[in-house]
Amino acid sequence: MAAATSMAAALAASLPAPVAAPTPAAPTYEAIPASMSKAIDIEAEISLTCVQLDGMVVTKIIKHSREAHGPAAHGLVLGLDLDGTLEVSNSFPLPSDEDDKSPKGVARFQAAMLRSLKEVQADDSVVGFYQAMTLGSFFNQTLVDTQAIHQEKLRHGGIVIVHDMSQTARGNASFRAFRLTKAFLDAYKRNNFSTASLISHRLTFSSILEEIPLKIRTNALLSAFLGTLTESAPLSGPDVNPSSATSSTTLPPSFATLNLGTSSVSRNLEHIIEALDNYKTEEGNLAYLQRQIAREKARADTYVSKRKEENAARVAQGLAPLPEEDVNRLFKIPPEPSRLESVLLLGKIDAYAKSLAETSSTGLVKMHAAKANPGV
Amino acid sequence: MPLAAESSAVYIHNTAPGFILTPGRAPTSVTVHPVALFSILDHYLRRTDAQERVIGTLLGTRSDNGEVEVRSSFAVLHSETEEQVAVDMDYLKTMYELHHKVNPREVIVGWYSTGSNLNTYSALIHNFYSQETAPHQAIHLALNTGTVEGEQAGVKAFIGSPVGVLPKPENCVFVPIQCELRFNDVERSGLDLLTTTSTSPNSTNPHPTTDLELLERSLLSVAGMLDRVLSYVQSVLSGEVKGDPALGRYLMDTLGSSTEDLEKGGFNASLQDTLMVSYLASLVRSQAEVSARLALVTA
Repeated sequence: MAAATSMAAALAASLPAPVAAPTPAAPTYEAIPASMSKAIDIEAEISLTCVQLDGMVVTKIIKHSREAHGPAAHGLVLGLDLDGTLEVSNSFPLPSDEDDKSPKGVARFQAAMLRSLKEVQADDSVVGFYQAMTLGSFFNQTLVDTQAIHQEKLRHGGIVIVHDMSQTARGNASFRAFRLTKAFLDAYKRNNFSTASLISHRLTFSSILEEIPLKIRTNALLSAFLGTLTESAPLSGPDVNPSSATSSTTLPPSFATLNLGTSSVSRNLEHIIEALDNYKTEEGNLAYLQRQIAREKARADTYVSKRKEENAARVAQGLAPLPEEDVNRLFKIPPEPSRLESVLLLGKIDAYAKSLAETSSTGLVKMHAAKANPGV
Repeated sequence: MPLAAESSAVYIHNTAPGFILTPGRAPTSVTVHPVALFSILDHYLRRTDAQERVIGTLLGTRSDNGEVEVRSSFAVLHSETEEQVAVDMDYLKTMYELHHKVNPREVIVGWYSTGSNLNTYSALIHNFYSQETAPHQAIHLALNTGTVEGEQAGVKAFIGSPVGVLPKPENCVFVPIQCELRFNDVERSGLDLLTTTSTSPNSTNPHPTTDLELLERSLLSVAGMLDRVLSYVQSVLSGEVKGDPALGRYLMDTLGSSTEDLEKGGFNASLQDTLMVSYLASLVRSQAEVSARLALVTA
């Protein structure tokens, strides 16, 4: 399909909810001329307020994250935006970096996959990507870079969905949606993360990404199917005979959340220490560069003032003053170092600490719950 | 309406290597990952009006003991008319290669279709997939979506077996084999999330929930169960209901575990550790925050 009509197709397709009942006698749409496609695309004007994640995407992301062993798992999410809600209806994993490093291969893979999905009437517009993480930390350079590229190419700038594997293992499947803030994007475009730029954009680690509220949705068919799976779920109410209260055989209830779950604490602490070490190294580098800049600057300044004195003397003697503009050629003042890395590292430390705090707070509750048992 | 062997179905050939007895054990049971099921459901939702059922490829792994693990699935284009059935083989090849690139361990193990009617076309398609999975036997997963009135939603697994004097691709007996849902424990919470979502109004669920909310939910359900057990025990004691010895033994095993370890000072030590960790976490967080702010201060 030509690029001009793809927008029209997107509009046409967005009329019924992507997972709703089949379209009643689909109306035909004329091709929209390229000049009009901007004007007709009203959805792009409405800013995103919410991200809606389909049940299938939830399982797909969890499966991929688990199998890829670690934060290397990433892929694209597909969907449509409708009235401020971004409906994510499908996703596919991207090959991990080890196999294929060339961006060309990834692009080819992506194009082939999108074409194939389109043939079976699946949504084929990329709306962002997903990334697996452990222990709440997802800040890294690649994520920011990818998202910055997406932000320019995709409608609404694209979103990133992060999935916390360690929290999911603890029994609370966690998905969050983010996009880059305007301030960060501005700084990123100028490729300027000097102190001055950080100040003018008011950038700290918490203002790099903004969170978009996320909802989980299961379509009617999936709900019905899950209903069948869990059909013979335990009957509630205290007056039911326990022998008759059978639990579902396909999906037995799980109480993984009741585990004391202190096993991940030491790993979490290790992560914090590692991140702190990295941060310290990075700060050391920055300080070294700063000192170098200061030294060069001081040398340049002394040279300039010396030249000025000389010139003043020459003027007093009635001679022509020497030129002053060759300072920049004589002294190479290194550019101010980018502080992006250190900001990201701080974000990492914060995220690790936050997940540690959460684990310990629920751990505390669980411990007291266990203690309250008067079985002594 | 019988299909001639010279059917115009392009990709389905008359040779039936899949029906020849194959090395390795025939599949005896099938486990299905939820992802595969949900993909099938999604595919079914996105079918065109003309399509009565959808088919697709199952990817997964085989183990030596005859167990086939279906781990994912993808949709395949096909068309069924009165006269012929055709499967888009190029599409299948492309899709398989794409999936293979991401997850090299998953190979084609069979195919799925929605609805539970097994007809001549099913046999033909099965024969086609048998060639894809050779030398192993292909499995067929029939997923009933439960949208037709009077039919129960569910999944059935089959293997094909040749029948008749001369083995013909369109003659096939589908032998049911055992089929169950299998997922990793880690993925359990994702399913829980979806089940709570599916029962909530509007089928949407605000996310994320905090750990504490989840904990509360589990505790409430445990409390409910305890109440149930308590009322049962009381009714047995009062003689209303005859006690079940098996149940009584089970209850004793479950509730008899002691918390002695906790009482012997272990609790306090553990509590101190947890408090310490909690304190440390907030300390690190505030330090990080201060550090981020200080970076914005110029001399």
